[in-house]
Amino acid sequence: MKLFEYQAKELFKEIGIPVPASTIISGVQELDKAIAEIGLPCVLKAQVLQGGRGKAGLVRFVRTQEEALAEGQRILEVTGKKLLVEAAVPFEREMYISITVDPFSGSALVMACLEGGVDIEQIARTMPEKIIREKVDTSLGLMPFQADNVMYALGLSGTAAKEGNKILLKLYKLFIKYDAELVEINPLMILKDGTMVAADGKFNLDDNALFKHPQFTLTREHYKNDVEFEAAQDGIPYIQFEGDIGMMVAGAGLANVVFDLVHYYGGTVANYLEFGGPNYHKAQKCMKMMLDAKPKAILIATFGTIARADVMAQGIVDAVKELKPEIPIVAVIRGTGEELAQELLRSVGLNPLNDTEEAVKKAIELVGGASK
Amino acid sequence: MSIIIDGKTKVLIQGITGKEGSFWAKHAKEYGTNIVAGVTPGKEGQEVDGIPVYHTVRRAAAEHKIEASLLVVPPRFAKGAIFEVLDAGIKIIVVTAEGIPLHEMLEVRRVALSMNALVIGGNSTGIISTGKAMMGFFPYWLERVYKPGRIGVMTRSGSLTNEVTAEIVKAGYGSSSVIAVGGDPVPFTRFVEILPLFEKDSETDAVVMIGEIGGTMEEEVAEAIEQGIFTKPLIGFMGGRTAPKGQKMGHAGAIITAGKGTVADKVEALTKAGALVADRPSMIGALLDQALKG
Repeated sequence: MKLFEYQAKELFKEIGIPVPASTIISGVQELDKAIAEIGLPCVLKAQVLQGGRGKAGLVRFVRTQEEALAEGQRILEVTGKKLLVEAAVPFEREMYISITVDPFSGSALVMACLEGGVDIEQIARTMPEKIIREKVDTSLGLMPFQADNVMYALGLSGTAAKEGNKILLKLYKLFIKYDAELVEINPLMILKDGTMVAADGKFNLDDNALFKHPQFTLTREHYKNDVEFEAAQDGIPYIQFEGDIGMMVAGAGLANVVFDLVHYYGGTVANYLEFGGPNYHKAQKCMKMMLDAKPKAILIATFGTIARADVMAQGIVDAVKELKPEIPIVAVIRGTGEELAQELLRSVGLNPLNDTEEAVKKAIELVGGASK
Repeated sequence: MSIIIDGKTKVLIQGITGKEGSFWAKHAKEYGTNIVAGVTPGKEGQEVDGIPVYHTVRRAAAEHKIEASLLVVPPRFAKGAIFEVLDAGIKIIVVTAEGIPLHEMLEVRRVALSMNALVIGGNSTGIISTGKAMMGFFPYWLERVYKPGRIGVMTRSGSLTNEVTAEIVKAGYGSSSVIAVGGDPVPFTRFVEILPLFEKDSETDAVVMIGEIGGTMEEEVAEAIEQGIFTKPLIGFMGGRTAPKGQKMGHAGAIITAGKGTVADKVEALTKAGALVADRPSMIGALLDQALKG
């Protein structure tokens, strides 16, 4: 689960990492008061989860009241989400700092770079030597000497090196306390006197550990639309796209490949829905959800072991009887209980196929052929 | 031969009295797996399909020689159950649980490395030495999917494995061992650590690797081929070529981050190392022919 910037900054504040003065608002009517409180110039930042906010015009530095009101109103309207009104901070340099995991060694991994404020992925590709890395044995924790290793390797000195050390140790405490996948400050602003301020914050919590942190819940704001939000409430992986074919696939690996195959053969995907694992008895609910996305055809693919084919087929049969979809359904159902599954599908007039690629081609043909 | 287990390997099942545990214990036994004991705290004295159940791994290990353990326990108990079996000196462990907290995955990976234990998973469908024994969940009764043969398979997925092994059988081959390292972002054992076992196995002629977007496991395999650690033919097939960037697609490990983990990167590394890469499952048979029959 990704936290919004304002939530990340609340956690920074809680642990003592300096952040700019700010206030969070939900509507235009609160804008005047927020600007009066924070003062001008200030920065208006849309609270959306996708990257590239700056390029999309969703972060604006504003100098005057008129500009602030106009831009604030525009951003709120475009996103329909919360807006962070934040004091502008005069800085000397910007740096990048993050903590994530190193799967190979089983460690936490600190990454830092003095080219802050820019796209770190770009730097990882073009100037990997500029990124300082330090692995942390989580049973021992991040030690102060390791934080020093990072700061002095970056070339910092004096107050900045000491401040950086303190901030990194605090960031690590947050990483552990909240079971994070990733904590990132980019940019971490270095001021004239060497002190630092976290001007942005990314905080990704581990979904598998969310049960330890009930104060964080996924809200409608985390999702692009109502359907994706509702699916998530049911624990069903669901992503909506703009294409033709509605996918109902059991198993994450197979779902990814069906998604690829649809594109390979020139088709487009209306939605990605995975109903394997604990969801294999939810076929009926899944089909209902998927029909809301108005696909032109439904493509069902399974090759399950624990996710029994006959149970999934029964769910599909019930769904077809109840929902009477008027669009064609292509099904390729194999694995445990496959004979019975195919019989069940035939009982409602479906013609189960045996080969995934055949099924993908068939579905594309039914929606009018390849688009490219 | 085959790798990791065969019909003689003495296997323990942790969580044997649960619904899944007892169902798959029965199937594994029927398949020929030498299951000697099960563990469920509080259930000692019971039997599952004739297999004696103990309170703890230590108590089971006192009565039986145990070489490997299959964990069929919920994710929140997985770390404890893994450490329990390591504590009893057992060095082959298969972890099926999906949803183990990430920071616990790190601890298990680090400890397994330091103890030189082979912990496979989490989020794994298990391992099968085709025709001999299995620890995990495989529809072995489908002959067109699990037929004994000379192709080693290692995979990050479950559903896709059936799809690919069916292609292998369709092309006239079969599998020696299928090892599901699992779909988690921190697999306890990585592809590159399975490769030397297939390299040594005289009954494996080639390896099919079922990879996925995210992480660097496939790139590590390419490196091992370049370094001559693995010299048999390898065919890679990776899901998620067209997955949108930054979007988690099903498996927790399947996400492109920090400029790493794209299928394009993996294909490039593998091709450069001399491995063959299948664009689609249906190409795997032809690539096996190309590699093995010239």
